[in-house]
Amino acid sequence: MESKHSARPRSPWARLLIFVLLLSGCGGAASSADPTPAAEIPVQVSTHALALAQPCTGAFVPRTLDYTTTSAGNIAVYEANGAGLAIGDLDHDGRLDLVMANLDGPNAILWNQGDFQFRREDLSFGTSRAAAIVDVDADGKPDIVFTRRFEKPTLLHNTSQSGPQRFAVGTLPGVNNPFYSMTWGDLDGNGALELIAGSYDTELLKQAGPIFQQQGGGVGVFVYRQQGGNFEAQRLAEAADALAIALPDLDGDGRPDIVVGNDFNRPDYAWVQPNGAWRLATPFAYTSENTMSMDVGDIDNNGRPEIFATDMKPANKDLATMARWLPMMKLMTKPLTSLDPQHVENTLQVSDSNGNWSNQAYERMIDSSGWSWSGKFGDLDNDGFLDIYVVNGMIAAGLFDHLPNHELVEPNMAYQNDGRGSFTLASQWGLGSLASGRGMSMADLNGDGKLDIVVNNLQSPAQLFENRLCGGAGLEVDLFWPASRNTRAIGAQLALHTSTGTYYRDVRAVSGYLSGDAPQIHFGIPQGAAVQRLEIRWPDGKVSNIANPAAQTLIAVTR
Amino acid sequence: MIKTASLFTHPRVPLLDLLNLREQTRLFVLMLALGLVLAAGAMRWLALPLWAGTALVLTLLLPPLILKWRADARRFGRIAMVICILVMAQGFHTLEHLAQWVQYHVLRWPSFVSGGLISTLNAEWVHFIWNWAVLLTVIYLVRGGMRNPWAWLLLAWTTAHTFEHSYMMARYLMVLQDMRAMGVTNVAAQGLPGILGRDGWLATSELTQGTLICRLSGVTTAVRLDVHFWWNIGETTLLLLAGNMYLQQFVEQPAVISKDRLPTMTTA
Repeated sequence: MESKHSARPRSPWARLLIFVLLLSGCGGAASSADPTPAAEIPVQVSTHALALAQPCTGAFVPRTLDYTTTSAGNIAVYEANGAGLAIGDLDHDGRLDLVMANLDGPNAILWNQGDFQFRREDLSFGTSRAAAIVDVDADGKPDIVFTRRFEKPTLLHNTSQSGPQRFAVGTLPGVNNPFYSMTWGDLDGNGALELIAGSYDTELLKQAGPIFQQQGGGVGVFVYRQQGGNFEAQRLAEAADALAIALPDLDGDGRPDIVVGNDFNRPDYAWVQPNGAWRLATPFAYTSENTMSMDVGDIDNNGRPEIFATDMKPANKDLATMARWLPMMKLMTKPLTSLDPQHVENTLQVSDSNGNWSNQAYERMIDSSGWSWSGKFGDLDNDGFLDIYVVNGMIAAGLFDHLPNHELVEPNMAYQNDGRGSFTLASQWGLGSLASGRGMSMADLNGDGKLDIVVNNLQSPAQLFENRLCGGAGLEVDLFWPASRNTRAIGAQLALHTSTGTYYRDVRAVSGYLSGDAPQIHFGIPQGAAVQRLEIRWPDGKVSNIANPAAQTLIAVTR
Repeated sequence: MIKTASLFTHPRVPLLDLLNLREQTRLFVLMLALGLVLAAGAMRWLALPLWAGTALVLTLLLPPLILKWRADARRFGRIAMVICILVMAQGFHTLEHLAQWVQYHVLRWPSFVSGGLISTLNAEWVHFIWNWAVLLTVIYLVRGGMRNPWAWLLLAWTTAHTFEHSYMMARYLMVLQDMRAMGVTNVAAQGLPGILGRDGWLATSELTQGTLICRLSGVTTAVRLDVHFWWNIGETTLLLLAGNMYLQQFVEQPAVISKDRLPTMTTA
């Protein structure tokens, strides 16, 4: 008995001290997650009813687009990487258009004419990799930015003129480097957009030799801030094989940080900005090795987003699949050091309440999806939980010489979130296309409240998958912030409070692999759920609330 | 009356008496020391690989061990001798898996380097042959009288382990065949997952999807190296328990020992 009592503080002052310490600990945790008190910002809201959904069939309807990404000659490793795409309303007609990047053929805009009809307009400049639709100059008109294979990025400035003169081909002043991947975000919350871009050094080395490091403004990872019409560079890394860049909040300080997914044995990079200055961080003990794609989303609706990265690991372990993969695996497998965190498989980085990250892809059944490229979150079945779609396939002489046409043919994979934090393969959704997918994005292309999917395939026509799944309703949000230099509020975080839970989304310019996203946010609302409130945290930390938004509507919010 | 008390100085753990090197101890230690010196020298100056050094030591240990096993057969009977051989061999096999486990988890070597002490041979064939040999030996021991609860568990465990290696062997051969059909002849298919463990049949089968089984901690999440480390730890443990219990019956009931099992050391 004596020992039990001796374990407790006898003095009431000691108990008070412990109580105060506990309180201060709790307060510290809260303040790290919410550094500035949120001020309520009034907004103008206009609501538009979404179109009546087509009769649901429980599956997607595949459609072929009049566009093919091609590569001249024999496709080797780097040509095999294909190209991306972007989605956005370029002409303010209320319909989301498609921008397709191309390795060898012309890039193009597929103007959305409604009812899944598209008018193709080719763009007259050379090869490209990634595409993004961003209002670069904050004039209220969305521009297009392409990264190029061996050149600095190209800007297509939106002039609002009709016809071929709508876009003036130019460059981003001060951005002279040959970048592969990019994204855009308001990293410092000052209301202006920054460009974050990374090079793909292994390909540049093969193309230009060792001199590649001296081309343009150098290679690696850069953050560009806009100053007086120019982009001013801050170099974060001097080398990269950046296939994907994401801007998650790694340290819970409410500000976006940077994660760069590198191909091959080059480890992924991460930077945090604890005091406004970038500091290299190692938040992940277990990462993908050939990180092909990254996306950020809250899969369990707990307010803490997860990070999904794709890699190359056979989805099935059957004999035929393993026989196709093993010769390549022998060629590609490189010895790693004992402390190397890289593993050749998809990863799902999950953070706990203390901000510690752990990979849970295997436990949640998404560690292996094949030779995967763009992998993204989206609530495809409108049940309130983010699902995952991953596009697959590889064509490469030298790697798959044992296969017909050097092509590893694999189905794309759709994973349905079971609402308990795990995923099940949703082959019944009809998304298992065997075309060799690369870039991929999701958006509601016919305004019916359901996410459709566009895939830019390599060597076969691009595809659009019309969403005919059965399920709940949709609610879509367009944010406008015309008084800022971030007119579409990229980086804004939204929380939709409903009777069945709170769903979290954010506005981003690019995700997955080389693929631009529409700034339009989509929420799935499960059947029977009552929508209570939409909370918007703008990129500068200010907050707006919209009470009782109606399901199956598109809400335009202007600050 | 048969007197056996002098045979077992450890009545509760008679297996210790069986494993005792007795009169071969000096020769064993001498050969072990000689082997270690030769192997270390050869590895140091002749660049002998680790597996060859280990094989050299094992070869030098064979003469004292063979002499000891002959003595075991005369002293304790043929079944006991087979138990002794199996315990020693399985013990070394487990040591090999322990070395792999240490290399992978403690030294943090990459998995393809964590091959244990004698890793140069084809792992699929080695384990397939080894596990069938163990299973047949255990069947021989059970038929020869080693029948106790631990022995039955050992038989079940060994059968399951051998079944898994047979499954892996079949997959290995079929994948090789599929690759040959595609013109690929220079790629081995060692290391594919089996029934248990991460990416194994149980983890990936459509039958288990959506159930607790497909991500049951350890059973369907452990890497192959861990799975087979635990297979062997279990097998060795059950073998020790079964062998010890088999010998215990002779300590407690000396009258059941027949003369043909104890041909030389018993006295009437």
